[in-house]
Amino acid sequence: MPAITLSRKLGSLGTEIARSLADSLGYRMMWREVINEAASRACAPEVALAVIDDLGLLGLRPSSKAQRAFLESVQQIVEQLAAEGNVVVVGRAGQIILRGYPGVLHVRITAPLALRVERIAARHSISAAAAKARVESSDQSRSTYVRRHYHVDWDDPKSYDLVINTEIIPVPVARDLITLTWEQRMQTPMTSSSLS
Amino acid sequence: MSEPDETQPAFAHPSEKAFARILDYYGIEWQYEPDTFVLRQDSQGHTLEAFSPDFYLPQQDLYIELTTLRPKLIRHKNRKIRRMKELHPEINIKLFKRRNIRDMMIKYGIDEEARKIMDREAQ
Repeated sequence: MPAITLSRKLGSLGTEIARSLADSLGYRMMWREVINEAASRACAPEVALAVIDDLGLLGLRPSSKAQRAFLESVQQIVEQLAAEGNVVVVGRAGQIILRGYPGVLHVRITAPLALRVERIAARHSISAAAAKARVESSDQSRSTYVRRHYHVDWDDPKSYDLVINTEIIPVPVARDLITLTWEQRMQTPMTSSSLS
Repeated sequence: MSEPDETQPAFAHPSEKAFARILDYYGIEWQYEPDTFVLRQDSQGHTLEAFSPDFYLPQQDLYIELTTLRPKLIRHKNRKIRRMKELHPEINIKLFKRRNIRDMMIKYGIDEEARKIMDREAQ
């Protein structure tokens, strides 16, 4: 089950790194697909919107029942993707769902807040204040998702095998670092700490 | 994803345009009023009442109907949605009661961003 989970902060260039990594390894990159498929399986399509809406613009408040069904589906889909292998799973707390699974590498992409704000402002041609509001809201939303549903600190480096700060590490170097770590991991004898 | 250019539909209400901008921001594919559902017919099969939800999101397989906060309008739309669910239980539809979306869009620069894109494409 070769799989890489990638957790990233808004403005960290994590999505770009995930895409470059998936292209270079010939893996699938799964991101929104997990959200939409999980919501569909849970028969709660509005939960997909609530999850995508990390700025809270739509004001959706899915029921606890719908959220539980969604989370169960997310878990099943992420485990299924890992079992199929050759995949980069972006977000959805993959580092927690697949913690301890053999043949899975957990990567975190981050960068200082000020730099992420600067990147978002430049990318979208918006004011620094609007960019800062977006970044902070996104951080809060993603952190809350992980803490509320999995009781884990999103920022805890112990949840990851490799943490990359893109302040001085550009996308291609980050991709190569992950690839090197990945190759090393694949050469290490796998342990079955969580799988039978 | 739908692009905010001259091919955009003629939205019936500014709130629909704002909603489309939010969907664009999140990269959510959408269609504007793509389907009409018959709610009531006479004995000859003529349509007496129909309902066209404002948006359809194909990736989520979800219809969206927007409404303002006027109670009369909300009641009216709720009735239509209830009827539609009775006739088409397989259809997913959600009524959005919009609150302060405009203020939120300004806070996050989405309004400004969309306007710049529109200006650029108009040149």
